[in-house]
Amino acid sequence: MVFDEGGVCLSRLFDFAGGTGMGYSQPEPLLSKNKVTLPPNLMRKALPRWPRLSEPEMVRHYTWLSRRNFGIDTGFYPLGSCTMKHNPRVNEVIAQLPGIADIHPHQPEHHLQGLLSIYHEMQHMLAICSGMDDVTLQPVAGAQGEFTAVRCVQEYFRKRGETQRTKVIVPDSAHGTNPASAAMAGYDIVEIPSLENGRIDLEALKAVVDDTVALMMITNPNTLGLFETDVPEASDIVHAAGGQMYYDGANFNAILGRTSPGLMGFDAVHFNLHKTFSQPHGGGGPGSGPIGVKSHLAEFLPSPVVKKRPIVGDEAKFAVDDMWYTWYEPEHTIGKVQQWHGNAGAIIRCWAYYRRYGYGLKDMSEHAVLNANYLRHALHREAKKADVSHMFVDGAEAEVAKHEFTISLQPAKEAVGVSAMDVAKGLLDMGYMAPTVYFPLVVPECMMFEPTETESRDTLDTFAKDFAQVLKVDPQTLHEAPITTPVRRVDEVYAARNLCLKHPFDEE
Amino acid sequence: MVDQLPNRGLETEMLKEMGFSSIDDLFSDLPEHVRMSEPLPLPPPQSEEEIIADARRLLGANLAMGEAVSFLGAGIYRNYVPASVFQLITRGEFLTSYTPYQPEVSQGMLQAMWEFQTLISELVGLPIANLSLYDGSTAAAEALTCAVRVHTRKATQSNTVYISELVPPDRMSVMHNYCQGAGITLKVLKHNADGTLDIDSVHSAAGSCGVYVEQPNPLGILDGGLTQIKEIIGKNTALIVGVQPVSLGLVEAPGNYGADIIVGEGQPFGSPPTGGGPIYGIFACSKPYLRLMPGRIVGRSIDVDGKEAYCLTLSTREQHIRRHRATSNICTNETLIALMGAMHMSLLGPEGLEHLAYRNMTACVLAKQKLSEINEISVPHISSAHFNEFVIELPRSAADCLKYLDSVGIIGGFDLNRWYEGRNNWLLVSVTDQTKAAEIELLAAHLAVWCSMKEVFA
Ligand SMILES: Cc1ncc(COP(=O)(O)O)c(C=O)c1O
Repeated sequence: MVFDEGGVCLSRLFDFAGGTGMGYSQPEPLLSKNKVTLPPNLMRKALPRWPRLSEPEMVRHYTWLSRRNFGIDTGFYPLGSCTMKHNPRVNEVIAQLPGIADIHPHQPEHHLQGLLSIYHEMQHMLAICSGMDDVTLQPVAGAQGEFTAVRCVQEYFRKRGETQRTKVIVPDSAHGTNPASAAMAGYDIVEIPSLENGRIDLEALKAVVDDTVALMMITNPNTLGLFETDVPEASDIVHAAGGQMYYDGANFNAILGRTSPGLMGFDAVHFNLHKTFSQPHGGGGPGSGPIGVKSHLAEFLPSPVVKKRPIVGDEAKFAVDDMWYTWYEPEHTIGKVQQWHGNAGAIIRCWAYYRRYGYGLKDMSEHAVLNANYLRHALHREAKKADVSHMFVDGAEAEVAKHEFTISLQPAKEAVGVSAMDVAKGLLDMGYMAPTVYFPLVVPECMMFEPTETESRDTLDTFAKDFAQVLKVDPQTLHEAPITTPVRRVDEVYAARNLCLKHPFDEE
Repeated sequence: MVDQLPNRGLETEMLKEMGFSSIDDLFSDLPEHVRMSEPLPLPPPQSEEEIIADARRLLGANLAMGEAVSFLGAGIYRNYVPASVFQLITRGEFLTSYTPYQPEVSQGMLQAMWEFQTLISELVGLPIANLSLYDGSTAAAEALTCAVRVHTRKATQSNTVYISELVPPDRMSVMHNYCQGAGITLKVLKHNADGTLDIDSVHSAAGSCGVYVEQPNPLGILDGGLTQIKEIIGKNTALIVGVQPVSLGLVEAPGNYGADIIVGEGQPFGSPPTGGGPIYGIFACSKPYLRLMPGRIVGRSIDVDGKEAYCLTLSTREQHIRRHRATSNICTNETLIALMGAMHMSLLGPEGLEHLAYRNMTACVLAKQKLSEINEISVPHISSAHFNEFVIELPRSAADCLKYLDSVGIIGGFDLNRWYEGRNNWLLVSVTDQTKAAEIELLAAHLAVWCSMKEVFA
């Protein structure tokens, strides 16, 4: 047992390296071990220095770790841009059924009609919600969806002989994955400044658009949580020069059933299914990042997508309805971005989530927007009551926010030296996850809140009161926060200067 | 009626408090002509009970491998994952957390991922591992671009990497998609008739940025020749090895024969096949690659009181800071599945790992022996050591054979004609720790029946 300074017991996996535990007993091999022969130079000389734990020790170790971690189940998690909504547990139960957990991507179609029909249903639903013509479920995260769409656009222009299009336009308020994905496909990035409230600067756009532009990537609502009203104009400008328009759909939670990228004039869009359709984020993944495209890009989609046709002959034996669901290779496919069929297990969970709502998906985004606006209102209301309303201002002037909003703690910083980070750490002490801080970069001392539709008004009201209380804490104490968490402020500079990326074993 | 919205029924009150009269007011910023005028043409909401019934019906129409006898592998394997892994992973503190941006309340996941890095590092024999990429194919693709970033300046074959010609086309396609933007040329390394790498062809790769090979290779062969590659290509060309991690309980860690980057499908540790995802890609490397590698990394640090604490580190490589100059676009990764892997590995321990590798390998020895006893069937690479799978050559097409086997409840393997043109009669038979001796007998018996058929089955 190891104890830290405060006498708290630490559980460290590699303290069990000298143990004798065998976590689970296994059956004997099918033949005696001496029947195995290996080229002598391939015989492993020393086993890895893995720990030796019994099952009870292992269970206790990971349970101990889990208690040092904060999730949506633990408390309010208003992390902007991440859509931390409740994860319905029936989805987890469904994802463990053998018909998804124990299937192999290379099984023949007649073994997988259930899976393929669900894929087809998801492709169809996402096409409807996005106003696109075709959908692929293969990309396994939002960033991979972006990359996939950029590749499709790239092949589209190559086929048309427009190889002079070497640029992708990205507003400076965009998420980092947008420029990173376009650069990975080989494009030069042209970053354009946004206006004060994070909106697209049409003049700046006009200044850079010409026939060397392949694509413009836009997030809408933008990363400040505001609807980009000028998007149709931006789309006209880019299209007039022969470019394509990409919609980063990470913020779909704000618009489902109210508008769509198709209506706004986009050619391609990705979904962050794990956000909008609640695949649990699990400490940073897994995700799922399907893309939708207009028909002119469909022939380039990754292979395969699912199509359907009426059943013939004895297919009825395996069919789930009167259609046969089949893998299909688009004519000029870019090939594969992940080796298998995307994150099937995530897609199943998101399917279950979608079924919970059906056409009521609109209610979902309405409540997400209702809650965000209500929280914004409540923060100001409680700040006024507590006499701290001079400590922050809205990150952007707007009558209504969409599913998230920003504030700037610049006034607090100037008046009393309290930073957004200090306030974030103060919130941890109150038992909350902190909102996103310092993103987007265009708002100084930014704090970004996304409550999601699954928080009750009581939670929002209580949080707003507690937020005001944090602003009342004297600056010195706030610099010291957090004090009630498993560890206090972690020294990131120390971590980078004294790299320790694995257990040091004997060196310790 | 949707049951996931706690504020249902409170809308009017909440709106009124904000000075609005209807939900429409909250969407007044949407230009008129982009508004959706009709309700979404989708079916009505369902209750939990209805959804689970539909899920059971639809997913029940899939044939789970456990309901049949399966010899299908080819990159995704059916290994046993202990019950405690599934139980622990449902803990909401893990399941419903996100990227540990606030380390003070994310120590559990951070420490678990630091431990995962250690487990992988020890397994493959390299000092550094990240906390997962999307899958084995994207890990391999990112290894290639990483090798080019590190070596291209000094390389005589700049922007060029060499890849084993056996790498399956699906994996190659991912590599192509990831590499084409950087203008990287992918060249192939030849193989001998016995399935091993043509070592002479490796000489042509000297001066390039990297060489990518797999151990076991896609035909299941454990190739002793791979241990000579590093000496041939030298220190300015990266040796990248794709591994099946379970094999490393018996097979030498590639880090000990000169590998600079090691990648692989982590899936057999911690995750059922799940139709191919979510699984996780392993990525490990040596020090010279550290600052140009992709993916998140956890470092051990201290807090303001000097207490042991963990946090994400070296993030200046990543997209949220470096934007278009980032080493990769990856943001969301596969942390939760990697955590399942860590749990599985810690339950195994070193001796359990070795035993597991023996179980996988002896099953392979037994299957090879039984199938080679069938007169009409040959095992082209019979003298090699295999892990998890091996090729059998049939008297007629593998596609036809698979149809017959399917008709008797056996998923017979993978038709290699789908990877390698002209290999119509090659079947890749895969066994794991889950394969029973009686199942191998059953496969042998049915293969003999199919071989003796005078004409095509289907
Ligand atoms: C606006 C935006 N775009 C793209 C992404 C990238 O998505 P993912 O993390 O799924 O790769 C995110 C989220 O992380 C995001 O918030």
